[in-house]
Amino acid sequence: MGIRFKNVTHEYPSYSKKTYKAIQGINLNIGTDDEYIALIGHTGSGKSTLAKHMNALIFPTLGEVEIFGNNIKSKRDKNINYNNIRKRVGLVFQFPEYQLFEETVEKDIMFGPMNFKKSEEEAKKLALEAIHLVGLDETYLKRNPFNLSGGEKKRVSIAGILAIDPEILVLDEPTSGLDPEGKQTLMDLFSDIHKKTGKSIIIITHDMDLVYRYFKRVVVMKDGRISFDGTPDELFKSDIIEENHLDLPNTIKVLSYIKDKFNLDINIYQKIAEEAVQEINRVMEYE
Amino acid sequence: MNIIEVKNVSFAYNEEKQGLKDVNFSIDKGEWIAILGHNGSGKSTLAKSLVGLLEPQQGEIYIDSVKLTEETAFNLRKKVGIVFQNPDNQFVGVTVKDDIAFGMENLCVPRETMLERIDFFAEKVGMKEYLDKQPSNLSGGQKQRVAIAGILAMRSDILIFDEATSMLDPYTKNDLISYMKLLNKEGFTVIMITHDVNEAILADRIMIMNHGTISAFDKTETILKQKELFIKSHLELPMALKIANEVKNNKIRNSLWEYVLKM
Repeated sequence: MGIRFKNVTHEYPSYSKKTYKAIQGINLNIGTDDEYIALIGHTGSGKSTLAKHMNALIFPTLGEVEIFGNNIKSKRDKNINYNNIRKRVGLVFQFPEYQLFEETVEKDIMFGPMNFKKSEEEAKKLALEAIHLVGLDETYLKRNPFNLSGGEKKRVSIAGILAIDPEILVLDEPTSGLDPEGKQTLMDLFSDIHKKTGKSIIIITHDMDLVYRYFKRVVVMKDGRISFDGTPDELFKSDIIEENHLDLPNTIKVLSYIKDKFNLDINIYQKIAEEAVQEINRVMEYE
Repeated sequence: MNIIEVKNVSFAYNEEKQGLKDVNFSIDKGEWIAILGHNGSGKSTLAKSLVGLLEPQQGEIYIDSVKLTEETAFNLRKKVGIVFQNPDNQFVGVTVKDDIAFGMENLCVPRETMLERIDFFAEKVGMKEYLDKQPSNLSGGQKQRVAIAGILAMRSDILIFDEATSMLDPYTKNDLISYMKLLNKEGFTVIMITHDVNEAILADRIMIMNHGTISAFDKTETILKQKELFIKSHLELPMALKIANEVKNNKIRNSLWEYVLKM
């Protein structure tokens, strides 16, 4: 069993006397392998707070989070090795590029592995592997991270987490701010890692095209609670979308427009442009 | 009338990193411009140059016919409001309210007006119930909304959004865009730097940047018709056009174009 939320509530302090519940009454199971989960929802619905519980970065105010057999409660427990939890569950924040601090990309990627007691030599090897994994070549290793573009910095910081080789990866909006090519490279990279290693991956995103195309499971947050947990197909065919102020994938939007306008008997549930084209061409042959 | 004029502007961060290479263009007052380009193409460098945060090593920038220099930058900044991608870079206040007020305080907006505007713009971005909260406890998307409210409250003639909606959920984004359209109708000039082509197509004109230069700057429809330009610039066409470019049936192709252009 990987991560299990048991009736978890988290409150933040506030200047007005009332505390503010970022998440409440959360029950959620995440397996150690073969999970590929999109976590979606309105801004401020509690997605990032939920993610920060997944490696015990913050503790629940109420309830508990079980992470690889460790029960995380509201108070720090001396018997729990938190460092080990953070090695097993890697968390990549929004704007990870702002956490780069070393003078070379290589040193920055080596920081994680060395922190987890790898030798310098091993860490160097891991840095080389990781930089390739994120689609950059080794010339980047000697460069100063501050001279990289936003997208490149983002990839370097993700390489830093990959170098630690966590069993579960949690990424908070890893593709925001990336150009379409960078976005696709990263998404392909995550599904590649998932397919090759079976590692569970949880990604926070607002991009419904990505959710439909890449993920096996979607968890929707609304006002600090889970309002849906199922497959993308179930989600986009349900009323949840409208109720939660979410958007539909562009393929579905475009195909519904065509379907209504020409009154066609067309299957609008296509994940990518190529499939949509095939479906249109197939239907139009008989028109 | 030109509200922005950029003449032969070049900027290099250092030997390793070139930002802009001989960039020339002008923007009319009241235009809605989108800037598209791959990561590292120079979009943000351009934005920072337009508000005087970076000083080009070559060339000149005119805002409302006044040359941007160290001396004029302070006054010109009142005309140009910018929201960056990462709102953490522009948070200064202890509460959301202070934060929205900050820009206006610098402009010496009277207190009464300021309080009205704080309420109005917090409401506009859906953050009214958070006015007394600490910005640091907000989510990324909420911080973006507060940063946007702060800039809108300054009522600058030119609004630059540098990937400033990247963390907004689609619903909030649509709301904000409709409001921006209203502002644009009132005469505000809008510059949207974005990777979201669906956002870019709302513009009157689209600028495409590539390795520090402008590859194209033309009417939105004209730009969208250049499939090769998109491929060459590592950009993506809107879904409906990706489909339109491949379907065999003419009627469907035409209506997909209509769909995109009326968005």
